[in-house]
Amino acid sequence: MIKKVARYLSLYRIFVIQYVKTMMQSKVDFFIGLGGFLISQAAGLAFLYLVFEQIPSMREWNLEQMLFIYGFAQVPRGLDHLLTDNIWMVGWQMVIKGTFDKYILRPMNIFFQIVCEKVQFDALGELLVGFALVGWAVSKGTVEITPIRVLFFAVSVIAGAVIYTSVKLILASFAFWLKDSSAIMTTAYEVADFAKYPIEIYAKPIQAVLMTILPFAFVAYIPSTYFLIDANIWRTIGAECAVALVIWIVAYKLFQKGLTIYESAGN
Amino acid sequence: MRKFFKIYWPFALNYIKSNFVYKGRFYLFILRKFLGMFIYYYLWMAIYASSASDQLGGFTRSEMILYVFMSYTISDMVMVGISSEIGSDVIDGNVAMSLIKPINYRMRLVFQALGVMLYRAVVPSLFIWIGLEIYKAAYLGMAVSNPLTILATLCSIVFSFFIFIFFDYCFGMLAFVTTYIFGMNIIKNAVLNFLTGKLMPISFFPEILQKVFAFLPFSAITYVPVMIYLGKYSGLQVLFQLGKQVLWVGILYLLGSFLWKKVEKRIVILGG
Amino acid sequence: MSENLIELKNVRKEFVTAKHYPGFKGAVKSLFSKEKIRKTAVDNVSFAIKEGEMVGYIGSNGAGKSTTIKMMSGILTPTSGSCLVNGLEPYKERKKNAKNIGVVFGQRTQLWWDLPLGETYTVLKEIYEVSDQDFTERMAFFQEVLNLQDFMHSTVRTLSLGQRMRADLAAALLHNPKVLYLDEPTIGLDVVVKDRIRQAIREINQKYNTTVILTTHDLNDIEELCQRIIIIDAGKKIYDAKLNQLIKDYGDSCSISFEWKQRPNALQMEKLQMEKTQMEKTQMESQQNLGGKLEMHINESNVQVCFSKKEFTIAEVFAKIMGLIDVKDVQIKETELTDIVKRIYQGNKGNQV
Repeated sequence: MIKKVARYLSLYRIFVIQYVKTMMQSKVDFFIGLGGFLISQAAGLAFLYLVFEQIPSMREWNLEQMLFIYGFAQVPRGLDHLLTDNIWMVGWQMVIKGTFDKYILRPMNIFFQIVCEKVQFDALGELLVGFALVGWAVSKGTVEITPIRVLFFAVSVIAGAVIYTSVKLILASFAFWLKDSSAIMTTAYEVADFAKYPIEIYAKPIQAVLMTILPFAFVAYIPSTYFLIDANIWRTIGAECAVALVIWIVAYKLFQKGLTIYESAGN
Repeated sequence: MRKFFKIYWPFALNYIKSNFVYKGRFYLFILRKFLGMFIYYYLWMAIYASSASDQLGGFTRSEMILYVFMSYTISDMVMVGISSEIGSDVIDGNVAMSLIKPINYRMRLVFQALGVMLYRAVVPSLFIWIGLEIYKAAYLGMAVSNPLTILATLCSIVFSFFIFIFFDYCFGMLAFVTTYIFGMNIIKNAVLNFLTGKLMPISFFPEILQKVFAFLPFSAITYVPVMIYLGKYSGLQVLFQLGKQVLWVGILYLLGSFLWKKVEKRIVILGG
Repeated sequence: MSENLIELKNVRKEFVTAKHYPGFKGAVKSLFSKEKIRKTAVDNVSFAIKEGEMVGYIGSNGAGKSTTIKMMSGILTPTSGSCLVNGLEPYKERKKNAKNIGVVFGQRTQLWWDLPLGETYTVLKEIYEVSDQDFTERMAFFQEVLNLQDFMHSTVRTLSLGQRMRADLAAALLHNPKVLYLDEPTIGLDVVVKDRIRQAIREINQKYNTTVILTTHDLNDIEELCQRIIIIDAGKKIYDAKLNQLIKDYGDSCSISFEWKQRPNALQMEKLQMEKTQMEKTQMESQQNLGGKLEMHINESNVQVCFSKKEFTIAEVFAKIMGLIDVKDVQIKETELTDIVKRIYQGNKGNQV
């Protein structure tokens, strides 16, 4: 078991090095991508900033708290984006073009192969904004900081990233049945945008969706209440971890089921 | 003129057809459009609920609801991107190929985009608009829009389409400089969300920025048609805004031709 | 475990696709339709292949070649039937099977597109856990038979099709697989490169006793490499035999063209026609009427006679024609593999009707 983990870690290192080498051939693209995500983030922030020029607070949340939630949502999202972005390609064109074949032909875990083929450094833009906002909230005293809270923050971020990855994997796996599931994936990603704001502003059915089918409420808003208003740890970060575990199992099972009906392309 | 349409119309039609082939995509397409709108709808509802005054940035709550839905619908309809297509054409060498075809490259793209626009005008824009009119009358206690306003709005939307497409054509010329047009597009969309007024009414921005925005063509893409629809302009102002739109269509068209000439020279010398 | 390395028994593969209707109305109709089309790509195919064999697997486009290969490599799961490669069911024990096989798809590459070629091999070495010693030894061997050194440091993207194919072949063989599947390995290559690739495949087969299964449209590949040929058409296996058996079975037709010194006059022409009728009569009356082809074409500068060697000897035909006209030159053409395969296809179509 340990040997296996060690082997996969060393393979991961090799794959990432190869990818970085590839990327070094087009540094300009890297900065464009980074800039793109930074500016997109800035747009969302500017909206909040301009709105709070007009009102003191929104549903008991002041600007600092809103920005913390917003930033806290970006960190797991950025982490998922950084590490597992290649899953998009499965839903987008690998299945329909049959390029997925190559993973099956290699004696390695297929999910691992997909994930380690690409590190999406564009995501550093999201991570940067996320950490900056969280840091800013801490410096403003909006959020109190203790060692145990730092630990829970890390746990929550990882669980949140797992939720993102699992949703992505589930939707990408649909491609095994539908050939192309990119439309569903983009739609789900739009839903993820709901998670950047307190979910109680939405109508009940939308809240229900965000807590069940597409559980994005658990990646930021729910755990952030633990940090902002000292909500019960089990009902926030505990719940997040439970959701992450369940959805990961569902996602991986579905992915494996999809592999058995993969049809490749051509004849 | 008829011959012109005969050559280019199939490009528009093909797109419409291909959209019906993938049914899954068809339904999702509609769903996806509602999502972004609803986030902002709820955000604004919460914002107005938390506000002491019943007007923000010169908009009442009802007007803001209409603004959110209309700005999304119109942006979606008129902002038909062609730059990514130019990008892939450059990479595949199709641009050079298009030089030897008896078809104008820009016109082909415009008609392709026209197909998209017409398709989106029906699915789902028309339905959203009708729904909005009903909602307006039944829940917001406002009068249904008069035919003249609707006509002016439609005119403005058509001009918006041409402003955006000619702008995006110019933007697409960047593909000859960088290959990462995907990343460039993310930047473009983020910036345009601001400048067009899709994100929020331009009246929310600080005075200085508002003045700058008025000098740019982008507010004419979304903000202007929505404001016309909301009846925020007087009759004369409407004509002025429409005139400004036409002017931008012309300027961006000429800019596109100029850039294309430069690029064409490059292609001929260096190859696609 | 049997002595067969690969064993397919009654393998069948069906694909199901949604139905699309043509035209604009059709497009709208497709939106609401749930109709499905079931297509059988591989239909009840069985064969067994021994270790070290080189087998040509041929068929027209869409005949089911690639589908079979994909089932043997674990990419596709058969709808029914069993498929064993080295005692494993490829789609059930994917990872184990992957170590036993090497695959080259002519139109795709498994090389790292944006990196120098050498990098691909270092990564593959890790993936397949090839020891340093084996790696050095095999790379040296590939350098020798595939001449990779000229472009080892070039980015894969910039390689020519021929270079890429050689590189892909080495990539598929780095872990010394028991079986090598080659799907159209020489497609789009020029004659010289084709020849080098074939030579390399032969040497690899000799050195490592690698079993090779090859699909191709170029029958020269088969002639030069394979001892055995399997033909598939419309998903069904229609022929499976050793190559020399095939020639024995079908390689009997022969064509001789006699170039004349000067164009035959009307009388000679008539005699030629009579001779043809005579030959047809002989054919009809013979004990063993095999119904072989018998044709005589009178062209601008020659007369061409096609016949079956089972019915007439070459000497017989020579004697008949030489006696009638003044001959300047003679060309004898024995059947080519292409013609044979064409005949097998036609025979199969005939049976179906």
